Amino acid sequence: MKRKAFLIDTTRCTACRSCQVACKQWNKLDAEATVNRGSYENPPDLTPQLYNQIHFIEQEQGEDLRWLFINRRCMHCADAGCVKVCPSAGALYHTKEGLVAYDQEKCIECHYCVNGCPFDVPRYDDKQKVTKCHACIDRVQNGMSPACVKACPTKTLQFGDRDQLIAAAKAAGKKLYGENDLGGLGVLNVLDDEPGTYQLPKNPAIPASIFFWKDVVKPLGILGFWGAIGVAALHYVTVGPQQIEDADDEQSKGGE
Amino acid sequence: MGNYVDRFNTTDRVLHWVVAIAFFLLLLSGVGLFAHTFFGYFSLFGSPQQGIMVHKWAGIVFFVFSLLLFLRHAAETCRFDADDRRWIAKLGGYLSRKRQEIPQGKFNTGQKLFGIFSGVATLVMGATGLIIWDPTAYSRELTQFSLMLHGLFFTLFMIGMVVHIYLATVGNPGTLEGMLWGQVSKAWAKKHASKWYRKLAKG
Repeated sequence: MKRKAFLIDTTRCTACRSCQVACKQWNKLDAEATVNRGSYENPPDLTPQLYNQIHFIEQEQGEDLRWLFINRRCMHCADAGCVKVCPSAGALYHTKEGLVAYDQEKCIECHYCVNGCPFDVPRYDDKQKVTKCHACIDRVQNGMSPACVKACPTKTLQFGDRDQLIAAAKAAGKKLYGENDLGGLGVLNVLDDEPGTYQLPKNPAIPASIFFWKDVVKPLGILGFWGAIGVAALHYVTVGPQQIEDADDEQSKGGE
Repeated sequence: MGNYVDRFNTTDRVLHWVVAIAFFLLLLSGVGLFAHTFFGYFSLFGSPQQGIMVHKWAGIVFFVFSLLLFLRHAAETCRFDADDRRWIAKLGGYLSRKRQEIPQGKFNTGQKLFGIFSGVATLVMGATGLIIWDPTAYSRELTQFSLMLHGLFFTLFMIGMVVHIYLATVGNPGTLEGMLWGQVSKAWAKKHASKWYRKLAKG
């Protein structure tokens, strides 16, 4: 199956937040009380009840205000840190469309994915189960687009075959964030500035320690365990045990 | 005096077996987090959540008692001399059936190295275990580095444990008794720990 993806053209976003509302409506997520922090950004961060959020970047430039918006959500990485660290197979998983979904029944509440994600996305709800954007996989697998995309009035959010979205954006001369990072992100952003301005890592990556843990220590550990048992067994049938001989019982001064 | 000499007193033995039980509890309750293949071991504890809880409590017990065990024998395990070099050169005589005379103290070089490794590994497992107790408490880098170190020292500990169990049971007949009821035969002591035996014999 062809890989599906979001294309988010931040230059088209008006911060209407239809996406936030549509997501809550489709996924039956409660509204949350927030306080006025002197910004239109609301709520201020992803929460267990908020799977996608319009993040406001407000820069004062003399008299002017520079306003940038970005839709924060799960990036649906091909090489997903959360899936890689999750101990429970199938709790976090790639769908056949290449999107990262989850099964709360299989979540063991270990919280590894929270730090496994390079984008600080997974949240835990009050049942202590993982939540995040799952790309409305129930809609997608029935031929519909995700709720946020359906609701977006400015075509900031698009959803479709990843290759086609990339080709179209490139034909229009747009620069993409996430085309090749982490095996290619499932959320491609068209940014108006450097990634750092949007608080996105410039080169998102799985830390070397996770690679070493999962791809070196784990296989070598399993091999080492069975290897040690094999060596012990081999030693027993070749050299054999250190038998105590009769000579040891005599009144000799052992070791001299 | 009979054919046996005292090797480990009651405190030594109880300490050792508390550590051993905690080790196997930790192994069974933690291995499900190590690789998907072993996820089924969580069913021994009812659920993964309960397995993780057992792992945390067993971890505290192991940390405290393993350090006590190390400190109890530290004076013996941390002292090396020329006979240890000989032991290493001959690999403890384990690679040949020919009888080799390598005078050793209460613990042989391999046992001493394993004792020191266990002490260090206990500290590493304890420190990293504390950091990943709540995997959201510290920074991403520190948490993931700790998860990696915890896994790395687990595998080293596990390999060390296979060797330890083999050599303390079928590999060296007569050894296990010392840890079970505290005494070893004089013949065992002369063969495996002649310097220690001579000191005992002198009184």
